[in-house]
Amino acid sequence: MQSSSTVRRMDVDQARKDLCRRTLSEIQRPLDRLIYLASMRDYNTGVYHHDGLASRFSEEVACEALADCHREAFRELVICPLDELVTQLDAYRSSTHTTPREFLTAWGRLEPYRVAVPVETDPLSAEFLFSNFKIALAVLEARLDSHPAGLAA
Amino acid sequence: MIQLIFFAFIGVALVASLVLLMRRGGARAEGDSRVLLDARKALDSLQGGLLPEELVHRIFARDDLEYVSSTAPKQVRDLFISERKKIAIAWIGQVRSQIASLKRFHVGAARSYAQLGLRTEIELGCQFAALLIGCRALQLAVSVGGPYAAPRMVEATATAAAKICTISEQSLAFLNPVQLKPFANNSLSS
Repeated sequence: MQSSSTVRRMDVDQARKDLCRRTLSEIQRPLDRLIYLASMRDYNTGVYHHDGLASRFSEEVACEALADCHREAFRELVICPLDELVTQLDAYRSSTHTTPREFLTAWGRLEPYRVAVPVETDPLSAEFLFSNFKIALAVLEARLDSHPAGLAA
Repeated sequence: MIQLIFFAFIGVALVASLVLLMRRGGARAEGDSRVLLDARKALDSLQGGLLPEELVHRIFARDDLEYVSSTAPKQVRDLFISERKKIAIAWIGQVRSQIASLKRFHVGAARSYAQLGLRTEIELGCQFAALLIGCRALQLAVSVGGPYAAPRMVEATATAAAKICTISEQSLAFLNPVQLKPFANNSLSS
């Protein structure tokens, strides 16, 4: 007989697959997935919400599935080479419809990536990702200074 | 009279040593459980956060430096080197500190909980000493020569730390919830 924790884990796995199939497969870049999944989390409680997923499974299972996917997106991003991170950041910037200068200034000052990491992330991995973001922004800024038309439209 | 003083002195000494032993015994049990928890946390931190091969490779990857050098001006390259150096030193420091925590566990509490042979204990002692010295040397090399100064030492440090983790995992296996399964089943069936 299966224990309740095994059944719950199976539910979470199913919910995770469902989320990947219906939503995350449409979001190709790990950076976009990280930001999307971080936005599903309530900043006051740390609990993830997704109405569609919760209606198919349960609030708790949906929350765990979202947290799993968030951790996965973080892991992918933290080991991604710097050139890929720069490309992803530039592509994300162009999807926000802000000017390159506005985006780089806001990200440089506000460091919004700091609130996008999953809870209980290893501090060194988080610092490593923040450091890579800082460098990626510097690369994009240097590119913008030398070739204003060099960034993605 | 002298005999009375002598026996009184012996009696007081015995009571004092008994009280001392009792107090030490209590403190040790409390200290042991803390060492045990610290060791479990250290193991989780090493295996889950610090030692995954892909992360270590990425922190010390030269291709990132080559990318920055070929596409960005000198000040960005300098920023990159300084950031990576900071991360590399933090990584070595954390590996060292977690290994030191595992060492405390092995020196103090492991003997009570884990059945390690004398040979394994001696080997482990040598590995701890070599790794802790190696971490200091690597920290010095990275501080002086930058994050790419000693790639082989990084590799050796990560490998040695992973080996120690494997042995420590066996020593701490009794803390795993899985170990409680048979007990839970027995209590249900009885």
